[in-house]
Amino acid sequence: MTAVTMAPAPERDPTLADLVVPRPRLAPHPRMRFALGPADRAVVAEGQTIFAGEPLLERVLDAEVADVGPAGTAGLMPGDPIGPDIAPPADGAAAARLTGHGRVLYRLPDGRVRVALGERAATVASPIGGVVVEVSAGRLVLQGEGLALPGTLAAGEGTHGALVLAVAGPDGELPPSAIDVGSHGAILVAGARIDLEALGRARAMGVRGVVVGGLVSRDLRGFRASEVRQRAALHGGAPFAVLVLDGYGKRPIPSSIWAVLQAAAGREVAIGIDPPQLVLPADLRLPAAAADRVRICAGAWAGREGAFVRAAGRVRWAGGLESDAGLVRLDPLEGEAAPPDALVPLADLEALS
Amino acid sequence: MAGDPLAFFTLDHGTASTAAALVAPVAGRFRLLAADAQPAGLPADALLGRLVDAAVASDAASVPDASSWRRWARLEVVTRPAPRVVIAAPDEAGLTAMAAAATGAGWRIVGRLRADRLDALEGTAACLGAHPDLLAVAGAHDPTTRERAALAEVTALIRAAFERRPGLTCLLAGGAAEAAEGWSDPRLVLGPAATAAGSAEPTPLGELLVDLASEVAARAARTDAPTRPEAVDGRRAFAVAITSLAAILEQRVEAVDVGAAGGTRLAAGPHGREARLHLADGGLVPHALLDDDRLVDTIVAWSTVHDDAFLQRDHLRNLALWPWRDVSGDGVHLRIAAARAALARLDAAWSSRPAPDLVVVSGGCFSVMPPGVAELLVLDTMRRPGGAAVAHDHARLLAPLGSIDDEDDRRRLLVDLLDDLLLPLGSVMVAPGSRPARHPGRVHVGGPGPGHDLPLVPGAVQVVPVAAGSTALAEFDTRDGGWLGPRARRVALEVSGGLGGLLIDTRDVPLHLPDRADRRRDLLEAWERPLWPPDR
Repeated sequence: MTAVTMAPAPERDPTLADLVVPRPRLAPHPRMRFALGPADRAVVAEGQTIFAGEPLLERVLDAEVADVGPAGTAGLMPGDPIGPDIAPPADGAAAARLTGHGRVLYRLPDGRVRVALGERAATVASPIGGVVVEVSAGRLVLQGEGLALPGTLAAGEGTHGALVLAVAGPDGELPPSAIDVGSHGAILVAGARIDLEALGRARAMGVRGVVVGGLVSRDLRGFRASEVRQRAALHGGAPFAVLVLDGYGKRPIPSSIWAVLQAAAGREVAIGIDPPQLVLPADLRLPAAAADRVRICAGAWAGREGAFVRAAGRVRWAGGLESDAGLVRLDPLEGEAAPPDALVPLADLEALS
Repeated sequence: MAGDPLAFFTLDHGTASTAAALVAPVAGRFRLLAADAQPAGLPADALLGRLVDAAVASDAASVPDASSWRRWARLEVVTRPAPRVVIAAPDEAGLTAMAAAATGAGWRIVGRLRADRLDALEGTAACLGAHPDLLAVAGAHDPTTRERAALAEVTALIRAAFERRPGLTCLLAGGAAEAAEGWSDPRLVLGPAATAAGSAEPTPLGELLVDLASEVAARAARTDAPTRPEAVDGRRAFAVAITSLAAILEQRVEAVDVGAAGGTRLAAGPHGREARLHLADGGLVPHALLDDDRLVDTIVAWSTVHDDAFLQRDHLRNLALWPWRDVSGDGVHLRIAAARAALARLDAAWSSRPAPDLVVVSGGCFSVMPPGVAELLVLDTMRRPGGAAVAHDHARLLAPLGSIDDEDDRRRLLVDLLDDLLLPLGSVMVAPGSRPARHPGRVHVGGPGPGHDLPLVPGAVQVVPVAAGSTALAEFDTRDGGWLGPRARRVALEVSGGLGGLLIDTRDVPLHLPDRADRRRDLLEAWERPLWPPDR
């Protein structure tokens, strides 16, 4: 595995570490899981080393159920691959009746074997290089090289491409008109929000993926539905994914994450779906965030960042509710004079270091 | 008193937050000295240290040898996301019975296989791809020939999946157990037949499923946190504590615990537990919220927030991702709506029972709403004519105390802590049937103090202040009769005071809300407004 060369993580402010939930940090050796359907077939074995773009599994698109045997199926076990080129262990009698590829599901009480198989299969390629650590019923797990930047949600199919910052800042939005064929093969960073129309255009222009701070749940549902239709088509097209770094709605990308994305711009990165993550090059040199950096995630100051000054004890808010609070020295916005220190519920803060 | 080993901490590790309390002997009995909560994932020791500091700052003498706090005993419970089950049965009736038993025991159903309409692809995908912890096959006590044939096939599918996925448990219930012949595995469990009963009704299969859920939770807790291998399943411990509490008080107690990822409703009396419901979808923000618009809309329907519905959907989904956030803005009101919807789901799966003497509410969401609103939630969603006191398990002490094995020790501790562990919210009275055209009636709430005499307003919630720690006599008077269940012109009841006071509810049972979203919101807001402090 490639050595990780990144700026050493700063020691967290001890008070902050005890009081404020940290944003998940970059982690080495990312793991990616790939679902295996009943008829799908892994084309790699446990322990095998693979490179980005190499085939991982064959996804059967038109799987149907067939019953074979019992003659010639004596050695077949649930999960065994089956098809014209894979004769059952006992003899070839059952295979002669099969067209396509698939797997054994189970043995029926009358001795026949129920199989799932289909003739159309799509090859799923690995978005990252790494080692196959698990091939089991239902899933394949890959441990890759690089650094994982955890996301919150992801949809589509794991993909890779060159990272391109498509907006000027972390709170920008990417309109459909700004996406053209020049972005073919790229993974675009789309700022605080992207809509369904822009996602559709990105896929049509050959973009490989989109990384965004937030996505409206209605658009996410629409995108998932369109992905299902896309995959069911005769030619499913290149894999495309959307990775949401923060949450639902419009959510500016935190400055510390934006700095990481800036550092990775132009480099080959990958989007993982399960778990949601952006895999960055292992040799990336990352800027270090100050130990007292926090982001305000909810309430009147939502989206603002600053330096944690101190815990401010129990505070009574409008409506009479009380909670523990902290004092935050806000970063001034563009054109803003020195803003006042903000009193914020500790629960609404996220530590960025 | 230096080094007194009797001071201890309680820790309730929830899916969204961790609650901790410091308990120590003071003047011959155990008292709650400090309690607090923090988002899950922050270091628990830091929280315990702050509790000790707070107790020392308040009364140093009550905390013996405070510097040794890291060695003090800890009663810990853990609540985890609901375990997952794929259920199978020969027909729809069997599936319904198994589903009722499984959902009532806290399982989340991730696949349903009906043997007479078996889709082998979907069934296998559910067993292998939906990551269940349990595969459960229901068979009738005495299956027919047709049922036997159907069971044989679905069991073949289940067995194939079971053998391909290490770590799964398989339950063959009732007649399905016949398929176990020649199948020997320590993870194979044989159980009683599923019977047609409500989710909250105690059945042998339901009890077995509760045990299996606890085993799964304990296994997962050991994997996730090897440093606290002895932590007990929080939902189960909460049920034990409520049963002990009912015995001590010699009252009928109903309890609801609304966690982030699951909910519990219990009924217990002086002679033991009467009903139990652990519902995966009974949580504040159940897992399905992220994908299921209809579920989200049932929450939005209870909302008093003035945003568009689609903005509220996103807001609620963000609440599901980070349940501890947004405790000072609109998040408070959405959390209240989510709590109402969770209580309504729990009530829909509950069996009708007589009104309790005391309702205990538990769960982090009740800590971030005014006490009167917590009472109103009980009124809105657990509607029965009659009255009850309402109290809040504010320090989330009950579940850790329920983890004490010995019943006598547990009761002794509960008796000592009774004044501290339940925060009195007040009392609620549901008196339906009052109509504007009729004589609405009056209520007199007497002493301590001058008392209150007021006319009842049909279809409304009225608030009468009764101080915490005191009791008062509420006398209802109407020409029409028909109060609080029994038909009488005059009814007098003793009511307990609390932070939210006495809430008298003359709205219908069940509650009728307008279909139009704006009217519904205005009505909910009107009912809630008097219960908020004036600076809202």
